[in-house]
Amino acid sequence: MTADATDRISLADRDTATPDYDDAFDAVVVGAGLAGSTAALTMAKNGLDVLIVERGRFPGAKNVFGGVLYTPTLRELVDVESAPLERYIAERRFGMLTDDDETAVSLSPGEWHEPPHNDSYTVRRGAFDEWLADRAVDAGATLVCRTTVTDLLREGDRIVGVETDRPDGTVRAPYVVLAEGGNSLVSEGADLKDRERRENVAVGVKEVLEFPERDHAIEDRFRVSGDAGASYHYFGEGAVGDAFGGGFVYTNEDTVSVGLAYRLSDAATSQPDPEGTLDAFKSHPAVAPLLRGARTVEYTAKTIPEGGAEAIPQLVHDGAVLVGDTAGLVLNNGLHLEGTNMAVESGFHAGKAVADAADRGRTDADALAGYREALESSFVVRNLDRYEWLIERVQEDRQLLFEELPRAVADAGSEYFRMDRAPKDDHAETAKRELLQAVGGYTGAAKLAVRYRNLL
Amino acid sequence: MSRAEKAGAVDTDAYSDVWVFVEVHDGDVMTVSWELLGEARGLAEDLGEDLVALVIGEDVDDVGREAVERGADRALVADDPVFEPYRADPYGEQFRALVEDRHPAIVLIGGTHTGRDFAGRVAVPAHAGLTADCTELGVDDDGLLEARRPAFGGNVLATIVCEDHRPQMATIRPGVFSAADPDPDRDGQIERVDPVVDERDTVSEVRERVVGDTADITEADRIVAVGAGCDGDLGPARELADALDAELAASRKAVDEGWVDGSRQVGQTGKTVRPELYVAVGISGAVQHVEGMNDSDAVVAVNDDPNAPIFEHADYGVVGDLFEVCPALVERLREDGLVDAADAEPEVKP
Amino acid sequence: MTDDPTIVVGVKQVPDDDEVRIDPDTGHLDRASAPAVLNPPDRDALEAALGLRDAAGGTVVAVTMGPPTATDVLEEAVAMGCDDAALITDRAFAGSDTWPTSLTLAAAAESLGADVFVCGEETTDSSTGQVPPGIAAHLGWAQLTYVEGLEPEFDDDRLVARRDVEGGYEIVAADLPVVVAVAYGEFEPRPAGLHRKLYAETEFEPLELSADEIGLDDEEVGIDASPTEVGGMETVEPVERERETVDTAEELADALADAGVVG
Repeated sequence: MTADATDRISLADRDTATPDYDDAFDAVVVGAGLAGSTAALTMAKNGLDVLIVERGRFPGAKNVFGGVLYTPTLRELVDVESAPLERYIAERRFGMLTDDDETAVSLSPGEWHEPPHNDSYTVRRGAFDEWLADRAVDAGATLVCRTTVTDLLREGDRIVGVETDRPDGTVRAPYVVLAEGGNSLVSEGADLKDRERRENVAVGVKEVLEFPERDHAIEDRFRVSGDAGASYHYFGEGAVGDAFGGGFVYTNEDTVSVGLAYRLSDAATSQPDPEGTLDAFKSHPAVAPLLRGARTVEYTAKTIPEGGAEAIPQLVHDGAVLVGDTAGLVLNNGLHLEGTNMAVESGFHAGKAVADAADRGRTDADALAGYREALESSFVVRNLDRYEWLIERVQEDRQLLFEELPRAVADAGSEYFRMDRAPKDDHAETAKRELLQAVGGYTGAAKLAVRYRNLL
Repeated sequence: MSRAEKAGAVDTDAYSDVWVFVEVHDGDVMTVSWELLGEARGLAEDLGEDLVALVIGEDVDDVGREAVERGADRALVADDPVFEPYRADPYGEQFRALVEDRHPAIVLIGGTHTGRDFAGRVAVPAHAGLTADCTELGVDDDGLLEARRPAFGGNVLATIVCEDHRPQMATIRPGVFSAADPDPDRDGQIERVDPVVDERDTVSEVRERVVGDTADITEADRIVAVGAGCDGDLGPARELADALDAELAASRKAVDEGWVDGSRQVGQTGKTVRPELYVAVGISGAVQHVEGMNDSDAVVAVNDDPNAPIFEHADYGVVGDLFEVCPALVERLREDGLVDAADAEPEVKP
Repeated sequence: MTDDPTIVVGVKQVPDDDEVRIDPDTGHLDRASAPAVLNPPDRDALEAALGLRDAAGGTVVAVTMGPPTATDVLEEAVAMGCDDAALITDRAFAGSDTWPTSLTLAAAAESLGADVFVCGEETTDSSTGQVPPGIAAHLGWAQLTYVEGLEPEFDDDRLVARRDVEGGYEIVAADLPVVVAVAYGEFEPRPAGLHRKLYAETEFEPLELSADEIGLDDEEVGIDASPTEVGGMETVEPVERERETVDTAEELADALADAGVVG
């Protein structure tokens, strides 16, 4: 080769030394999930320099949820229609299951078929979280992945940065937003919150299934077309036995998410094998036909904080705030299973509060209190308050609610619609008697109604 | 219609004969060289040209003779102390000089750590085309070498040709072809060539060479291969190998973990084997591994993951714990007299 | 005597084998779906180079011959600890087989004044392993392949390596300058420091070099200088397997006996 003719290229003039990023960022966000990216996006839009530290290979890689994302707040921040969405929810169905019966109520309001589709969409977290983090990066945030925050940096009581698992791994910043998700080791390790008590934690297991042999399986099985999809919720003995919780089936674009969520304390006693319980649920006569011919392509499990309003930790500290699942912001009462919308809402308010405090040049908890106040008057805490009482009450009535009532309703229905040669008067009478017996007569029914008047 | 001439193009008519490199270390010939000679015999006949063996080493006259017995029409022998032990620069330079002098049309080299090391030192100065890791060879109607190798994870076989450049060079994966048997009645010319390399010109020095008995799994009729699922404990697999009188082999993971010597690795970056029976124990079945054993007559897989891809490539599969299945299988095979009774000491070496 | 050596590391961007799904119907890799990543053996090469710098000082520069998107792998190299990186990019390189590819990298090594050029053993996408010997041949340098360990003797202008050979190993000393191909899995790639990683991913810009800037003419590279051509691609018929699953070892033994595989 023309070795002699080659000019030497000198790299001497190039400065490639490592800068020091301590206090180069206004805020560090721990976790690029929905709460973290929303906080980062909000702060970046308010002119702050934000660093998001994500332990996964990419945002969403390690994130799990049931399957439906509610987007009213997101719609204010980003262009939801250009996000990777699977299907919008056109039908919500609630089924009460015994071992072999199902009694269900289905809702398909016409308006859900029109934008904004009641702000309810199924999403795949890997795709969606990555997209949302990209929006934060577009707004000026910096994202670093495959890096796990292991601890907080402190000066006295004030939080002044984070420590990570990388060499040369500490970075200082005036504000830290803790969006670690349900497994909040850093917040707990730094004594910002206590470990969740067993009764305040639920276990969630989920499978994603595809239909390899069939085109349009989703459309056919769930009677939808175009981008429409369905959300099916189940509770009762046939779903999770007498554990407090329920099962769900959600339609994605060409896969189905099937799963269960129930209290960890129940897991220890009555349903110790979540995988086995999920298999049983999938084989239930009401659920199996939906999944016939499907093949599992993904299996995930997670813990869900479900302590309700009472279990929300101290959200605001000197130099730090807690958001999302780390702040215990999940609602699961059998009818409603929501966490992602609360994560977004909390990230939004936290981001605003940090931006405000940064404007005033203050990092103390009082300066950040606006976050807690905003959250308390938002749907997040108000919904959690509303259902605070439900968990205790249901604990007391679990056998009635999850075993006896579903059985009684099924039997009553079966009796009421019995097609034999007896007159309908007889059927109606028998049905009513069976139902009343289950709930303890008219008095019992009235008591039940009073106890659960706040359910809906 | 004429094509724009490529850099390094030559008059291909001036090149002829098929050359096979015979790799010798300390008097031992690598089996792949005999495998290549066997296959190249057919190519030489298709082309109506000579098959020439290239022997480089020290005290290697008898190797030249054996090459002729195994099918070469001629052997060129470069015999000198500078060639023992092997080093890339003297081998490369000697071979390059011979190629420049004698104009072979085709040069075949076994894809060992030696062959893959120095082949480029011949191909580059000659501006020759070099196709690495071939699994099939042929010649087309125009006498062009067709060198075939797996691409895209193994489900596609790419055919590589060199139209205007010579020699057409290829390294071939060990174990793919069958070794040619020696015929003591075969005659051929053995020519000693002068070394063109002097010790003073060399740029490397072998300070130490530590080589033990290498296992040759490519000759085995039965193989039991271990993978990540064994988690370091090869006992069950060794017992099974012993009962079946099988050679022990391994996936890349097992070799990387240090459980088994690299000479026993099966797969894209290891050896290709074609036994009558291949038992994959705790192997997931990644395509890079399957590529090395897919020509086995019968494949058995034991894995605790029902979704492991290995089951797609097996004739018989058991989904279960290998630590239970293997001993149970050994017991049953012995009970039913399907294999010989246990030896006092198992013979399978690491 | 080599003071302050320049160690150049050749890296490549390839489809991600780990993330590639195995199509459950065909059992084959679905490469089209895979994101692009740093060739895994190149991590060993980077670690080997950084280890040399730890032992003997000097500068480590990563280079890659590729399209503009290949800057991702250079960022990873710099994050890991390389002092600098260069993207060798030019339309003229399109269609290069190993001959012009090794020429291009050889020219880059020369231009950068390399004393040592380190590569991974092979790439996971083409796995020929022929570029490192090709670079050494173009430059007339010594070469060390299948390297499991390195020991610099730069005072004597030498590099000593432990080389993996069939059935054992060799200790080989090579004169500088030298091309080194590092065995896959023999080095423990160091994690990137947090601040270095932030710098590499947000601020670092690699040097861009064209064919001309490293002293090459268009005719010397790309498809016009590639002796090999792909003559055809054929889909390999998957080997027909019985795919019979049994539940117990006993049933397996029976099945094997029936099929005449044993006994």
